[in-house]
Amino acid sequence: MGVVHGQEMVLNIGPQHPATHGVLRLQVKTDGEVISEITPYLGYLHRCFEKHCENVTYEQVIPFTDRCDYLASMSMNFGYVVAMERLMDIKVDDRVEFIRIIMAELQRIGSHLLAVGVFGLDLGAFTPFLHMLRDRERILDLFEMTCGARLLYNYMWVGGLSHDLPTGFIESTLEFLDYFEPKVDEFENLLGNNKIFVERSADIGVMPAEVAINYGVTGPNLRASGVNWDLRKDDPYSAYSRLDFEVPVGNGIKGTVGDSWDRFYVRIQEIRQSVKIIRQAIDLLPKEGDVHKAMPKKIRPPKGSIYSRTESPRGDLGYYIESDGTSIPYRLKMRSPAFTALGVLNEIASGWLMSDVLAILGSLDIVLGEIDR
Amino acid sequence: MSEDKEKLISEAVEKALKGDKEAINSIEDRVTRAKAKAALVKAQRNQTMVIEEPTDTNSEETPNKNQKLNLSQEIAQKIEKKFPKSIDGEQNEKWIQLKPENWFEIANYLKSDEGLLFDSLQCNTGVDIGEEFLESRYNLHSMKHLNSIEIRIKVSIENPEIPSVEKIWRVADWFERETYDMFGIVFSSHSDLRRILLPEDWEGWPLRKDYEVQETYHGIVIPKVKEGWE
Repeated sequence: MGVVHGQEMVLNIGPQHPATHGVLRLQVKTDGEVISEITPYLGYLHRCFEKHCENVTYEQVIPFTDRCDYLASMSMNFGYVVAMERLMDIKVDDRVEFIRIIMAELQRIGSHLLAVGVFGLDLGAFTPFLHMLRDRERILDLFEMTCGARLLYNYMWVGGLSHDLPTGFIESTLEFLDYFEPKVDEFENLLGNNKIFVERSADIGVMPAEVAINYGVTGPNLRASGVNWDLRKDDPYSAYSRLDFEVPVGNGIKGTVGDSWDRFYVRIQEIRQSVKIIRQAIDLLPKEGDVHKAMPKKIRPPKGSIYSRTESPRGDLGYYIESDGTSIPYRLKMRSPAFTALGVLNEIASGWLMSDVLAILGSLDIVLGEIDR
Repeated sequence: MSEDKEKLISEAVEKALKGDKEAINSIEDRVTRAKAKAALVKAQRNQTMVIEEPTDTNSEETPNKNQKLNLSQEIAQKIEKKFPKSIDGEQNEKWIQLKPENWFEIANYLKSDEGLLFDSLQCNTGVDIGEEFLESRYNLHSMKHLNSIEIRIKVSIENPEIPSVEKIWRVADWFERETYDMFGIVFSSHSDLRRILLPEDWEGWPLRKDYEVQETYHGIVIPKVKEGWE
């Protein structure tokens, strides 16, 4: 009896497919159920972010950064203003710093909730997704209270913020945290100990640390591979060096270090750390202060360039800004963390079954708006 | 501004910094007085910054910054020693300017040398620097030594060719495709150099400064940028 050889078949997943988290086309070569090669085709959401930036002033870039990663707009704003402040050598008040940190961490919780929820949804767990969206809703309410917008905030400005905190914000946030903290354990139980979820994610799509570094994977995906790398600790910006928190890394509780389950679990632990950071930031927040004080009247950075990195919920968010001394950027490049995370997909997901490929893609938590820019 | 006016201003500012505010107010010419006040504000800002820096929490960062300044030059010297005549132009404390020829070997050296170990390519971007030249810039980072450097490689717009480093840092695969897509810099020996964000049949290199927006694409009229919109 000889070995039966199947015929190789080329299939398209997407561009319109709910499991691709946006508009992404994956061309897969399959041999039966087994995927032998994945070629992603990007660009369906390309909105010429970098070209637009060369035609608008530095202030006007901020709304565009919102629209890149629409699930973590605050972090996108944060990265840009930090880069600009480093380029222009602006120092902002503690009040501004801590408000920014509160917002960025609330955003991280919201973003991770969606990431984990959608990951569960990809594996067929519908209920946790609804629980997580219910709590994310309360974070969006807090943002709406602050700046009027629920998705695209344009809240952090170079040298300051668009508005100061509204009255009652701190109380509402603390109330939310008290409500939310026990819920995190609930989420962990709902998904992390669910037999089907564990079977579908543990030992699936293992990403070794060297592969992750070589492919430029950052953020929770890198930490799940056991690398202790967090820019909030390793290259501190804003006031993160004054806060006490831990960097969770994957340790392969249910399977191997760097599998899909670890990527889920690191995000759950990061939510807990973010809660811790917000409580500290609220304690350290000065009562008084003008959030517009350090804002320059005209943004004209000196001639030169800067590459500045911050930790967005998806990893190292870098901005490369080249200034020619005018009020319009000469060149602005966003190094998007999800772009590199998608680049590793072929490496870690080929050889698995079709259903596992979608699970691995879900565990990487990509946002196509940021990949295509 | 004449020299004696400048002298008057600097004297007044010095006095004012020591606490004698009347020194500036006593200047009769209104324009000179305003300039002196501006100079005073600037001087005060510099002064406060000088005082703040060492007491601030980033006192740990300050020696690092000095290290970084030297680091770039130090590495440039190492490269020059190992690969003679590969440095392009004068050395700079912020970046290393290289010629494209030996880039693959130098990149391999930067990644594998024990003392350098730049194992992570953070960012690759193209810049149209004008005067018929393009530049490809690489931001490297070492996860072990926690150092960062920037490498710049200049090529002419006529023949924009740089060796690909895709085999050294796998992340460069997509980064280089993006730079090719936007600037038309050809990365030789890249295994799969296609456009990545734009459609495959797009014409021109959008982020070059001489790029003109196409009028139609597959018969679809592309709307022009509105007048007065910046």
